[in-house]
Amino acid sequence: MKNLFKLSYLALAMFVLSCTNDLNTIPKDDDQFLSDEFFSSESSYKQGLAGVYGNLSLTGTQGAGSSNISGIDAGTSQYGRCLWYMQNLSTDEVIWSYENDPGTADIQRTNWTASNPIFRGMYGRAMFQVALVNEYLRQTSESKLNSRGVSSATRAEIQKYRAEVRVLRALAYYHIMDMFGKAAFVTENDPVGDYRGPQYDRQQLFNFIESELLALENDANLANARANEFGRADKGLAWMILAKMYLNHESYFGSAKYNECVTYCNKVIGGGYSLATNYRHNFMADNNTNSAKNEIIFPLQSDGRTTQNYGPTTVIINGQVGSMEGNGASLGVGGWGGALRVRKQFGDKFADAAFANDARKTLITTGRNPIITTISDRDSGYIITKYSNKTSTGANGSDQGFVDTDFPLFRLGDVYLMLAECQLRGATGVTAAQALGYVNSLRTRANGQTISATDLTLDFIIDERLRELHWEGHRRQDLIRFGKFTGGSYNWAWKGNGVNGIAIPAHFKLFPLPAESVAANPNLTQNTGY
Amino acid sequence: MKTIYKKLLFLFLLLPISVLAQSTLNGVVLDKASGQPLPGVNVVVSGASKGAVTDFDGKFQLSKVVKGDKIVFSFIGFKSETIVFSNQTSISVSLQEDASVLNEVVVQVGYGSVKKKDATGSITTISTKEFNKGANVTAENLLNGRVAGLTINTSGAPGSGSEIRIRGGASLNASNDPLIVIDGLPIDNKGSVGATSIISSINPATIESFTVLKDASATAIYGSRASNGVIIITTKKGGKNLEVEYNVQLGIGKRINQVSVFSASDFRNIVQIRQNQLVAADPTTGVNLLNSLGTANTNWQDEIYRTAEMVDQSLSVKGNLFNKIPSRLTIGKTFQEGLRLTNQFERNTVGLAMNPTFFNDNLKVRLNANYSNEKNRFADGVEGSAIRFDPTQPVYNPANTNYGGYFEYTATPNGLPVINAPWNPVAQLMQTHDHGTYRRTFGNIELDYKLPFLPELRAVVNVGYDNSYGDRMRTVDFNSRSAYINNVLRGVRENQTESKTNKLFDGYLVYNKNFSDFAFEATGGYSYQKFQRETYNSFNVLNPNSEAPDVNNFGDQVLVSFFGRTNLTFKDKYLMTLTYRRDGSSVFSPENRWGNFPSAALAWKIKEETFLKDSKVFSDLKLRLGWGITGQQDMGGANFLYLEPYSLGNSNSQYVFGTVPTTLAVPTFRNVNIKWEETTTANIGFDFGFFNNRLTGSVEAFSKVSKNLLSYAAISDGSNFSNAGFQNIGSLSSKGFEITLNAAIVKTNDINWNVNFNATKFERRIDELALGSDVLTGGIGGGTGGTIQIYSQGYTPNSFYVFKQLYDVNGMPIQGAYADLNGDGIINNSDRYIKYNGDPDVTFGFASNFNYKNFDFSFNLRANLGNHIYNNINSVSAYYSLVQNNTVLGNIPTSVLDTNFIQPGSLGTQSDIYIENASFLRMDNITLGYSFPNWLEGKASLRISAGVQNAFVLTKYSGLDPEITNNGIDNTIYPRPRTLLFGANIKF
Repeated sequence: MKNLFKLSYLALAMFVLSCTNDLNTIPKDDDQFLSDEFFSSESSYKQGLAGVYGNLSLTGTQGAGSSNISGIDAGTSQYGRCLWYMQNLSTDEVIWSYENDPGTADIQRTNWTASNPIFRGMYGRAMFQVALVNEYLRQTSESKLNSRGVSSATRAEIQKYRAEVRVLRALAYYHIMDMFGKAAFVTENDPVGDYRGPQYDRQQLFNFIESELLALENDANLANARANEFGRADKGLAWMILAKMYLNHESYFGSAKYNECVTYCNKVIGGGYSLATNYRHNFMADNNTNSAKNEIIFPLQSDGRTTQNYGPTTVIINGQVGSMEGNGASLGVGGWGGALRVRKQFGDKFADAAFANDARKTLITTGRNPIITTISDRDSGYIITKYSNKTSTGANGSDQGFVDTDFPLFRLGDVYLMLAECQLRGATGVTAAQALGYVNSLRTRANGQTISATDLTLDFIIDERLRELHWEGHRRQDLIRFGKFTGGSYNWAWKGNGVNGIAIPAHFKLFPLPAESVAANPNLTQNTGY
Repeated sequence: MKTIYKKLLFLFLLLPISVLAQSTLNGVVLDKASGQPLPGVNVVVSGASKGAVTDFDGKFQLSKVVKGDKIVFSFIGFKSETIVFSNQTSISVSLQEDASVLNEVVVQVGYGSVKKKDATGSITTISTKEFNKGANVTAENLLNGRVAGLTINTSGAPGSGSEIRIRGGASLNASNDPLIVIDGLPIDNKGSVGATSIISSINPATIESFTVLKDASATAIYGSRASNGVIIITTKKGGKNLEVEYNVQLGIGKRINQVSVFSASDFRNIVQIRQNQLVAADPTTGVNLLNSLGTANTNWQDEIYRTAEMVDQSLSVKGNLFNKIPSRLTIGKTFQEGLRLTNQFERNTVGLAMNPTFFNDNLKVRLNANYSNEKNRFADGVEGSAIRFDPTQPVYNPANTNYGGYFEYTATPNGLPVINAPWNPVAQLMQTHDHGTYRRTFGNIELDYKLPFLPELRAVVNVGYDNSYGDRMRTVDFNSRSAYINNVLRGVRENQTESKTNKLFDGYLVYNKNFSDFAFEATGGYSYQKFQRETYNSFNVLNPNSEAPDVNNFGDQVLVSFFGRTNLTFKDKYLMTLTYRRDGSSVFSPENRWGNFPSAALAWKIKEETFLKDSKVFSDLKLRLGWGITGQQDMGGANFLYLEPYSLGNSNSQYVFGTVPTTLAVPTFRNVNIKWEETTTANIGFDFGFFNNRLTGSVEAFSKVSKNLLSYAAISDGSNFSNAGFQNIGSLSSKGFEITLNAAIVKTNDINWNVNFNATKFERRIDELALGSDVLTGGIGGGTGGTIQIYSQGYTPNSFYVFKQLYDVNGMPIQGAYADLNGDGIINNSDRYIKYNGDPDVTFGFASNFNYKNFDFSFNLRANLGNHIYNNINSVSAYYSLVQNNTVLGNIPTSVLDTNFIQPGSLGTQSDIYIENASFLRMDNITLGYSFPNWLEGKASLRISAGVQNAFVLTKYSGLDPEITNNGIDNTIYPRPRTLLFGANIKF
């Protein structure tokens, strides 16, 4: 009897214990894994790599409306979209009609605060990129690969992946350094979770990015320029980031590094890139396969079927469709009823008769007043058609909402103008004749009038950069480098929230860190003036 | 030896009976008030073991009675009657209803029940007799407005679910839904594909009572799921006597209000005004809006709705199966049309209850099995497009053969559609076929065994099971404008399914013992529950760019618990209840998964004290004090935060390497430290009764503080796989006050008038937010990602966060002009301020039941005071410029006449002008009934009734309806119909 009692007691204890073990549940879905289980398959490493790259195009794993970051509308949190808002919408190039979209009004009227959700999106998205890279480096460490018994063939590929993701981390920190001037510094050696990275200022970030990229350009694991698969980083991308950093070094720190910029621009040119045969190819639905594939150094991908996102190209092409014109069909999209227009000063840059046949001039002016007095009046202001969801052969993209057009984050045309600018700023390594040649080769490509040596001045360059590179994510950085962004030397419509533009203070050269990010990481201090 | 002794004793006992003269007594027992026979009355001879029970006609037969025997007639709810036998052969006894019966009500407390007079927590029970009358297709509406502190907000859709809140909820980002327990089986609170709501599959006719547990001393026995209160639903049990009941209700519902937009003729004037504005702004404008006007006169809000019919029937049969098993079978059939064209709800249910007992009643078995089959046709929410659609355009255009004869905007006659033009909302409804079916089986079997060798001890095992399968197929005709995708009229075919399982095992022991002045009860046990869920979505298979079909398995969610409770009563005056629950949840790490949830309650029956015992005024007075800690773990499916999860991307979210689209693998946000949110509740209450309980009620005050909130909060960038996620930070408190009064105002033989009144006042405050940072929330239409609300320390959650509108000297608002509240000379986001919130200051419920002879008349009123609504319809559309809807015309709200706003402008949606007071008084139901108690020569009773559901609403709110969910953001709702009802209830 006693034994029976003991036995039943034991049975009960075992029953309770086994039920307690049931509390250790694990994901059962075919799309959800724990990290060790996931990386037990060797094919997972490339999917993990796609995860790191994907963050440049996608906001989440479950379609264009999903997001892995918060505090901002999911679709708006796309890497290139935030970048585009901050680099282009803040300037003379463009107006966004729907100011009830949080954050847009502050940016285009240059009277932003630290609570702007788009800043939180940009900083959060770029720092998420850093976190993804760090995680990938941890999951592919020697010890992890050993413990999982990864084959040597796969290991060789993984070494390439590791080099590439480090370029992407440098790219993310480059964007943060340029726009925010500081960041929490986190590497693969730091813990995951609630770790609060120390603050790195602009110089520290510069030094880190530079050291990483200098190491990577000599790393055999990083593919030579144009030698990698489409969509993957190579030395061309590393050189381009370095060239951009050296170009703006004087603007950032007061001391010039134009010679270094020329060095890296020349490396890019030496990498085998060539201009697309047609300027417009760079901005079309097939810009991953048409002649633009020779010019684009690195794209942010978009595809109407496989890579749907509310990134810059989907927003721009739908936004270009005019409120009155309803010209979506000619751009291969439905359109958003006049979301985007250009400011008066933008149109002025193309006003000269010399640009009458210039392919870079895509203005639609008929029936439109170039002056926008009421931002929500979508019938005022010129519109443009630079980007398109039609292919170079005139076919529609695969979807009429999400475009196939990749965003050309860096392209060779920019490098030509950078070289010309460095020459004008006194750099060695590029001659005046070369500089003129670069500028005119872009003009010739666009069926525009060529210029003479005397026309080639810095004032010409800043305007030419607008004509060549508008809406490509460069304008704010360029205006700052030319001393025209803050202050009152150049006022464009709605700058400083004045209909004709008014001066803004110098601290607007940097965006404020998002208030939430400063609150969540007490190591961070807010930028001066905010 | 012992046995022989017993047998001898038995003989001795029998001896006197066999010697004395014996007779047989026949009789009938009647209800004194109605004169109706009372079945089921216990008839026993005092001091003897023999007795009988009256049959369906109130008749009984008692044999072997002797003169002088005291025969006691007793029946629950009635005063007992004792008759001394004086050799009568037949007898008629009338029993009178016992007024103090109210105090004998038994309330469910989770793993047991107590008599209401001994309850120590804040508990309200509403049972069949007190249920709301009228059209209550979903069960929760049976008690809407009847319980202080409980709000139920149901949409106008047929079979619609409700937002249920007890004392406002206790969470910020985690769930605020109360735990719902059906016959001991806690159910999950998520709806399912194919069904209208989680509760919609329950046939209200099977419900015996709702018990609402409000304070932690009552809810803590449910531990980690109890912070938002608990609603225990008890279904009807089987009976020993054959009884058949049939209920039918017919209803005809109509829309009673509409969003105020311009009629066709007024719209023509408005278009002219807008044209004048355009010409004034630019005299050379080539635009002439008048050319776009049509010739029809259409009220689109009339066109998308219809008269909605309803038929609700239930049949229940109660009886003793095989003379051993008291059983009850309830069959329900409900058909309800929605106001929206094509929308309908159909439900067929079968409920079986069996309550046999075995081994001399030592083993009680309670079996409840329910099957429900729902068939729904869902209808798209086209209210927004009906509001905006040009009233001068017709519904039909027979020439539009490519569009099924409906009017649509086309580039050429019957040609391709105009992109960015709205769709005909009537066509969208008629050309969409969105059918859902939902099958659900749920129930439990409870074995309650009184140990024969230790009768103070009971062992109870309860096994519960809830399984459902929902299937929804949405197709849209290929010739529907709403299915024009990528330049092709291609239609939609999309299939979704969902299967869910919820398994429960409870085992517990109850020990009951009285020691002189002490009564002691202890309960201790173990509970295991597992939830599983799997969904499938085909997405639109007719669109090649749609996501690939996918199955989602949400993993197992398991809860293991140990619980205990002791009730200690001293001299039947002083009561103490202590409970304790230890919950282990699979959503937290092994280190954090166990949570302890204790509670304590004291009650003092002051009425029993000598100084009140003889009071004629006080018939009852009890003081209750309660304290307890409850938990919260529901993060909306974020079940693996403590692990290192990776998610794969879907087919639309790939990255292309070379030419190969590659599936993404992305690590997701982690928090190894995630643990319970804890809510501490203190409650003080008085239950009272005056004048022989003609007036009863209670007053309560409570304070709730939730700590370690499961906040979705920002986290240091770069070190986790998001910039925000669930963390245990912050605290939220709410304080409140509740009054409940029940009065029997008139109580005579012919007239009875009872009223119930309750009032609740509560305020929720955010005490601490993560990092002290404000969080913007409350998404609105108009602006991608736009918000109108804020979480801010010191304020109610979801307070409106707006700009202060400036007005001219005539009191007209100046468009886009806002006060520079921080005085920095710039109007930007820093100039917003907090103004009001969607919570009411006070809510009231009032119910009246009046009987005169066979007539009955009842009504229910509800009122909210001080609740505010942000009118998102006006804030998005009430601008003259929106008469142009891209390339076509669009209607606008008439409130534009009050503001004269022309352009939406910058931040136009953010003006405080759109916040309105939405206090209201609503007449939920009026019912008049007449009973024929002796129908069919007394073989049956019949009650017929007529009523109005949603009779009227008094409010100053300018929108459609002042009662909305969505935290006070009104972005069009499914309108609630006014329904005329006719019903009949037949009992055999």
